[in-house]
Amino acid sequence: MNKNIVWLVSYPKSGNTWFRMFLANYMKNTQHPVSLDEIESTPISSDPICFEELTGLNPFELTPDEVDLFRPEVYQVISQETENTGKINYKKTHDAYTLNNNGVPLFPEGISRCAIYFIRNPLDVCVSYAKHSAVKMEKMVYLLLNDDSHLAGNKTGQLRQKVLSWKNHIKSWHEQTLIPIHIVRYEDMQQNTIKTFGSIVNFLELEFNEARLERAIVNSDFKLLQKMEKEKGFKEKPQISKNFFRKGKIGNYREYLSEEQIQRIVEYNYDTMKEFEYIDEQGKLTV
Amino acid sequence: MVYFPIDIDCIEYSSDELESLTNPLFSRPHLQVDEQEFFLRVYNVASYRVRNGNQVDIHPYKDADVSSVNLFLNGSVLGAILHQQCLLPFHGSSFEYKGKGIIICGHSGTGKSSVTAAFCQNGGRFINDDITPVRNSASATTIIPIKTRIKLWDDSLCKLKIENDNFDKIRPALDKFYLPTQETFRAEQHLDHIFVLCKHQTNEFVANELSGMEKYNILRNQIYRKVYLKGMPETGKLYFKQLLQLAGNIKVTKILRPQICDIYDTMNCIKKDLDK
Repeated sequence: MNKNIVWLVSYPKSGNTWFRMFLANYMKNTQHPVSLDEIESTPISSDPICFEELTGLNPFELTPDEVDLFRPEVYQVISQETENTGKINYKKTHDAYTLNNNGVPLFPEGISRCAIYFIRNPLDVCVSYAKHSAVKMEKMVYLLLNDDSHLAGNKTGQLRQKVLSWKNHIKSWHEQTLIPIHIVRYEDMQQNTIKTFGSIVNFLELEFNEARLERAIVNSDFKLLQKMEKEKGFKEKPQISKNFFRKGKIGNYREYLSEEQIQRIVEYNYDTMKEFEYIDEQGKLTV
Repeated sequence: MVYFPIDIDCIEYSSDELESLTNPLFSRPHLQVDEQEFFLRVYNVASYRVRNGNQVDIHPYKDADVSSVNLFLNGSVLGAILHQQCLLPFHGSSFEYKGKGIIICGHSGTGKSSVTAAFCQNGGRFINDDITPVRNSASATTIIPIKTRIKLWDDSLCKLKIENDNFDKIRPALDKFYLPTQETFRAEQHLDHIFVLCKHQTNEFVANELSGMEKYNILRNQIYRKVYLKGMPETGKLYFKQLLQLAGNIKVTKILRPQICDIYDTMNCIKKDLDK
């Protein structure tokens, strides 16, 4: 068994796709930005087509809990099929770290090289994800505060992903001890870009080259991604949302969330927000 | 001899767990395949074993319901039987429309069954749902009817204005139903056109007729349970020849449809292409 899968983990709208475009640029190491189609080099772990092709079963004719019984096998097969190539498989995921009904982790230790966890202020996650999904803010507040929260798993679309509440999503990955994990804040990716992306390159044990790092950062600049999406579209944009790369702004929540909604999110997530410095020692929001 | 669809009542259940294959060419924890042997375990439902395209054994797991056991029997297991019989099966639903034999292929969830049902409301005659085997000769390809029933989700029934008159559920836990048996084909039907249904992110419908390698590759990707062929190299070689013949006999059109769209709009896009 070869530990050749790297999990790129996050609650939705927390910088995962931005990083995937950085990674695509870093790996290709070209002078010009790679196209948005290169995102396919880091596919999502909840892709139903991949599931059906590898298991020989239609995931929409299984219950989501049954699908989860097969998912560890699916990842083992992906690992096995690239075992002799020396290739590292980067897989995006929004799933919390959970066990299936057989008590087996969805993400098996034996094939997992490590995980990068992208964390973002839950208040901004709430706004960004509500806009992305074209749903009301209140519905998104509910998702972030509910431990039964999951994405997809319906009659079509992606496989069910248990995301839990925002705080328990990070907790599930932070507290597991089987897969080495590196946690990065979305806000640091924006404000301290070179250091933060550089720390990921080092953690992944990729060849470190400062010029290459800077070029990949420039070639995956958020504004550039917005421009590319506007010109040619982006496969991962849901039909109902206007664009995938929306604003990416820090503190944008103040324009959209009511004081009462902010308070509920902060109260529920207080300790975790404090741990990741979204709340300071005096108990005030840092952003 | 196996008759289609496979009648679950004609198969005796095994009370013991079925033996998996010894040294299969292709092996995964729940799936093992050789040229003429197949084993599949569907957790919580049943294990299945197929030999020589005509012998099926089933061991249902504790508390499994008959409809679930039947669903996978007439799905993934049926696929293995067809492969063992070298009846090239496509992942597609089929019907006859204005004298033409048509298969709508695509991944699960792209709307093959709904569009087929829509055609059948508009003059089409239903042949198969989800799996369509074909027979090839140098000059023609025919669709083999296997008498499966159309499976539709509750919302598709609603969109197609079909009243759910206590239709049978495909599984107790899912709101997907079998449409009661329509008049079905018994004779083989000439195949004229395969449409491959895919989704994209824009609001438009796009139809592209394919040729050359693109046509061959897309046809190859529509083989039902292509993964089994990893354990069936001889069958794979035979299919290679069949696909080349097939590509010369029929038209293949890729349809890109919006993620969210009306079933009848998809049908009309295909109709428009057929009327060209």
